[in-house]
Amino acid sequence: MNEQVLTQLTAAAWPWLVLVLCAQFVAGRLGLTTRGWQPLVVSGAIAAVLLLVPVSGLSVARRIAGISTNFSITFTGILAVMAWERAFARSVFTERDWRTGWGFGAIGGLALYPMALGLGSVDPYEWGWQFSPLFVVVGVLTAWLLWKGYRFGLLLVIAAAAFHLRLLESTNYWDYLLDPIYVVVSIIAMSRRLMSRARDEIPLRREVP
Amino acid sequence: MKRPATRGICILLAVALNGWPWLEARDPAPGFVAPSQGQPPASAAPFFREGVINPESPHAVSHVPSVTELPDGRLAATWYAGSREGGRDVAIYFSLLAPGAAQWSSPRAIVTRESAERDLNRAIRKVGNSVVFADETGKLWVIYVTVSIGGWSGSSLNVTTSLNGGTTWSRSERLTLSPFFNLAELVKNAPVPLSDGGWAVPIYHELTSTFPELLWLHETADEVRATKSRLGAGWYGYQPALAPLTRSRALAFLRDDGAARAVSLARTDDGGETWSDPEPLNLPNPDAGLDAIGLSDGRLLLAFNDSARDRSNLRLAISADEGQTWTRVATLAEEADEEFSYPFLTQTRAGDVHVLYTWKRKAIKHVVFNTAWLDERRSRAAE
Repeated sequence: MNEQVLTQLTAAAWPWLVLVLCAQFVAGRLGLTTRGWQPLVVSGAIAAVLLLVPVSGLSVARRIAGISTNFSITFTGILAVMAWERAFARSVFTERDWRTGWGFGAIGGLALYPMALGLGSVDPYEWGWQFSPLFVVVGVLTAWLLWKGYRFGLLLVIAAAAFHLRLLESTNYWDYLLDPIYVVVSIIAMSRRLMSRARDEIPLRREVP
Repeated sequence: MKRPATRGICILLAVALNGWPWLEARDPAPGFVAPSQGQPPASAAPFFREGVINPESPHAVSHVPSVTELPDGRLAATWYAGSREGGRDVAIYFSLLAPGAAQWSSPRAIVTRESAERDLNRAIRKVGNSVVFADETGKLWVIYVTVSIGGWSGSSLNVTTSLNGGTTWSRSERLTLSPFFNLAELVKNAPVPLSDGGWAVPIYHELTSTFPELLWLHETADEVRATKSRLGAGWYGYQPALAPLTRSRALAFLRDDGAARAVSLARTDDGGETWSDPEPLNLPNPDAGLDAIGLSDGRLLLAFNDSARDRSNLRLAISADEGQTWTRVATLAEEADEEFSYPFLTQTRAGDVHVLYTWKRKAIKHVVFNTAWLDERRSRAAE
């Protein structure tokens, strides 16, 4: 398959999954079933058609590509897990996998974006083009997660494979691991978890004599 | 993931995929190709000519020129023109000047918003700055800015090439240079050739703040490989102009959007891997584009707006001590309340110096002179 077609398909996977999740959400609100293959296929088909709708000569997918073609493989995988879990009411990720996924996005984003956008003299984005500490850290983290049985580790393996297969327009490893939307969602998810934990702990502290 | 064998295979895969780049051969850091040193003929009489590249331009705005010399001695220039800066009708224009010819060829649009949208297969709102350069084989490269969303801080860089002197151009390719939606990367000044056949292109970032960067461009059999590195530390200066001194040493002159309102200078001694902190020179800058080149006689030539307030003049200054001290040698344009800006310099193999600049935002002016004219002007300035 043509490399450009492949990168365009990969770029379209992220908005397609977002639309599938939206379709599942709307169907749930309307009281329609979202369980099983049939609703998943239908929502997938609706999402694909929506992405192909031409707007002023360009499809919605290509208009989204105007904003970004480098949605991370990691976050695309997380969205796929969400859609799968909703469709089959079966957990693919455990609670610790979700915690790790959001933690990876939040910590990775905080390590990358401020400096890549000019803070300080080091640009960590440079590390993504060739062998660097980034590959060592991600390699060790992935191996450790897999050793401990975290399924999120599999997403990191897929991201590394996608980097070597050049499935995104970018040739930088960072773009396969993180994207700004993933980072923002991760920071929100982590903040909510931290606030929720803090709320849970307050009554316990009060109970302690 | 419960079976140990599956887990073991996945771990091996993770180690292999992340370790593989370690095995890939890393090229030694390439050096800059500095201008070949050699005095022009001593008998050369001073000369100075000027003209307009696009005298019959139907557009209200022409801006941001660039120029390069082809191996056969022709000059190729690009700039953008349209109804207004950032307008949807803005296109990148191309023109050629044959050796000895007095007039440039009729300007031709080589990138329009529509063609960029088609080539890059995504929504494009506008096109902007471009830089043209030629390699030893005569292949022409144009790096240009497109914006899909927002203003100039929403810019991305793209590249297109021509193998036939600009008659036809390849399908444009997007360069991914920023992790933040690939935004805010722009170009203004000429690249410097590298000893391994690649290019160091001075670029800059313009989102939360501005800072200069270097784009490292290498062409392999099946792709254009683009990486980048920081030029100096932190948020300071932009639109760098790169002047190589030797294989490992180079200077970068920066436009200033800070309080100092002065041209600043950063240095590298290791082929551009690390740079000194930029230091302001005793030359003003009204937050406007400038350009600098190393001449074949070893001196540096700078074209700049000699004002901290506006762009109503455009002057030339030369330095014989690697940028520490400067002598103003000529005024190319000066008129109150007008704009003469975005100079672009090149010296041809014959030794002639060409300057292109934006003239009152309406046209692109072309000035050509030799170093004998510069020396004459310098002598007058010293008197």
